[in-house]
Amino acid sequence: MVSLPQLDMRRVYLIARRDFLGYVKTWGFWLSFFMPFVFGFMGFFMSGAIDKIEPTRYETILDETGQYAQPILDLKAERQKKIEWKAIETVLEFTNMSEEGIAGYKTRYESEGIEGLLSDFEGALPSSQIDKIKNSAQGNTRFVDPPNTDLEVLKDYLKGDTTLVIDGESQKLNGVLHIYEHEGKAKADYWSGNVNSKYVQRLAEDYFEDKAEQEYLASGGLSKDGLTQAKKGTTSIQAFDPNKSADDGQAVTKADKIPLIVAAVASGILWLTIFSGAYMLLTSMLEEKLNKLMEMMLATTRFSEVIFGKLLGVAALTITAMLPYIAIGIFAAILYVVQGPPEFMTQFKASITPKLIIFFFVFLILGYVFYGALFIALGSLAESMQDAQTLTTPIMIVLTACILVVPMAFESPDSPLLTFAAWFPLSAPFAAIARLPMDPPWWELALSAFFLFLLSIGVVALAGRIFRYGVLSGSGVKGVTDWIKRVIFRRKVKA
Amino acid sequence: MTITPLSIQNVSKFFAGKTAVDDVSFDVNPGEIIGFLGPNGAGKTTTIRMALGLIKPDEGSVKLFGHAPGAHAFGRVAFLPEERGLYKKQTARETIAHMARLNGMKGKDAFPLADKLLDRYGLSEAKRKKNKDMSKGMAQKVQLLAAIAHDPEFYILDEPFSGLDPVNQQVLENMVREIAERGRTIIFSTHVMEHAERLCDRIILISGGRKVFDGSTDEALAQAPRRMVIGSEDSRLREAVSPFADHIEDREDGGLTLFLKREADSHEILEKCVGAKIKLARFEPRNPTLHEAFVALVGHDEAAKMDEEVL
Repeated sequence: MVSLPQLDMRRVYLIARRDFLGYVKTWGFWLSFFMPFVFGFMGFFMSGAIDKIEPTRYETILDETGQYAQPILDLKAERQKKIEWKAIETVLEFTNMSEEGIAGYKTRYESEGIEGLLSDFEGALPSSQIDKIKNSAQGNTRFVDPPNTDLEVLKDYLKGDTTLVIDGESQKLNGVLHIYEHEGKAKADYWSGNVNSKYVQRLAEDYFEDKAEQEYLASGGLSKDGLTQAKKGTTSIQAFDPNKSADDGQAVTKADKIPLIVAAVASGILWLTIFSGAYMLLTSMLEEKLNKLMEMMLATTRFSEVIFGKLLGVAALTITAMLPYIAIGIFAAILYVVQGPPEFMTQFKASITPKLIIFFFVFLILGYVFYGALFIALGSLAESMQDAQTLTTPIMIVLTACILVVPMAFESPDSPLLTFAAWFPLSAPFAAIARLPMDPPWWELALSAFFLFLLSIGVVALAGRIFRYGVLSGSGVKGVTDWIKRVIFRRKVKA
Repeated sequence: MTITPLSIQNVSKFFAGKTAVDDVSFDVNPGEIIGFLGPNGAGKTTTIRMALGLIKPDEGSVKLFGHAPGAHAFGRVAFLPEERGLYKKQTARETIAHMARLNGMKGKDAFPLADKLLDRYGLSEAKRKKNKDMSKGMAQKVQLLAAIAHDPEFYILDEPFSGLDPVNQQVLENMVREIAERGRTIIFSTHVMEHAERLCDRIILISGGRKVFDGSTDEALAQAPRRMVIGSEDSRLREAVSPFADHIEDREDGGLTLFLKREADSHEILEKCVGAKIKLARFEPRNPTLHEAFVALVGHDEAAKMDEEVL
């Protein structure tokens, strides 16, 4: 018969407190704690600077035919416009603007250009973001007129023996696209001292391919513009969901993905918490063993109190360590929802169901106890970090594989594999939460949690025995392998 | 009624088919200082672990304060294990206060007590030092103070002197005497006979897992052969003293070491030499030592093991 472990909560608290403060009262902990904020700020303020890391490259086209330089420059300008629009569209999507609104802006962009739109964004967006749009549109390649019509002279520019003067400053020429006729056909070579410089070469190749395509279409009396127009007239398809209220029109919108996102994020947070908590427990247990203090503790404390004290202390530590990530996550989620259309907020609120809240905490506790007890047991057997890594590798693989349920739930929440994962105790905490948008019945979730609860009791009991052996035997992994050889394989083992 | 702090009855323990402790029995009475002696591997630590309930005996029974070892004894026992270590992230005062609190003391009492103990034993500068930054000797003293801070009724110290320098060994001896003066019960294991000889009321000797002696220190010493160093230029000396000795050894200085027969009396030896007109250059009866008692009880091989450990 299984008897519940006896616990003196004061001693459990004291052990938990010691484990918690042991880490929290170090500089290293606080450095890690503030690191996400530091990196966040650095990323925000340095995003503009990162764009400037790649220097401006000056290129020229030496076109002996006189036919191709301008069309190639036009192609570059056209591409530049596309980049500009993509950047603007990203910003507009970030503000959750409707598709009609974005289409309106596109029309304006086509007539007024980027300058006409940027005035709309002044004040609404940080200047660094506006600069980013301008820079991304501009690109890092600048075409200049050839400083000389002799290729041999231009090679001196490429080698840096001679420089260009642009806006009063001396600049090196990066590349020369040399176009000439050979046996009645256009031919082009790209000269550059920079072997990684491919932009102009590809631009020219694209131009010549495009030219060939147009000539081919023209041979049949067709044009590329005609083809583009024909594509514009195709039928667009609207998705509908019969589960949605008829009052809302049942059309599928971006907001419909919010429950999936919420469940996936909750499942991800659960996994991250359990993974980091279990790993911290392993380190803490190993440290405890190497500190050789356990025997003295065990003269005044029960094994179960040490295990639960550690579980509690490291749980508090994990939550504290994850606070910055949780805070940033919540901030980002709120920003996304608040800036979006009203239905985003409605869907978000509807996603935070009692089922999600209750089972998030149920599976968090059970998953942490289950994996934590396993890691404590293995930590108590290890004699070094190397031992610990060897022992935990199989569980680490299982735990890492479990995170795969999150993208699976996002793409196919009705997958039979996900349903199985929700019942299988090792993956149940993550899969059960991830498939909540499918609205599984309460009994299914409760039964899955109950199975995990039963297994957790077994694991805690087993971990207690391993822990007792691991701490007192001092023989570590060798003791286990010797035991397997002796008891299972009935082989003699050298002392 | 006074409860026996520890009662071990016919206890045996086997590891992987090998006997670690073999049918050992003894009681520890209140107020006693007991030396638990024996070489490494004799079974001392295993017996102590069984006494505390850390491991269960395969045979026999253990009673700690009248019951099977367990939570009822928490706070009533101070235990210093043979394996030394400290939680490296704590300071010395946190370590002592933490153990005192685990043993039932309140936080507001535990920290001032830790400070007092550290001051008293010359570790004032270590109060706020992290354990990882302390010297080995300091760390050992801190661990000892952490083990005994709650001043319980019964102290179990496993090899408390090992690893300490002579100065700190003396400090520890004084601590043990102070604890004993407060009427506490102490059992400590050691393989250094001199400590036991100086401190203990009673000796329990264990060898190869078996108890080979249990009695007072005087009774233990009585087990040792009595010796006498005697010297003379007279060649008749050996013949004159041989009836009193089981065994005679020649000394490098020309004298003889006599291992006296049980009934031999040093006065009779002196009278015989005087009667035979043998001029004595040396006549030195030697007090027996616990080491000699141990050799007499377990034989030279086991005793040699103990000598190796001390060296």
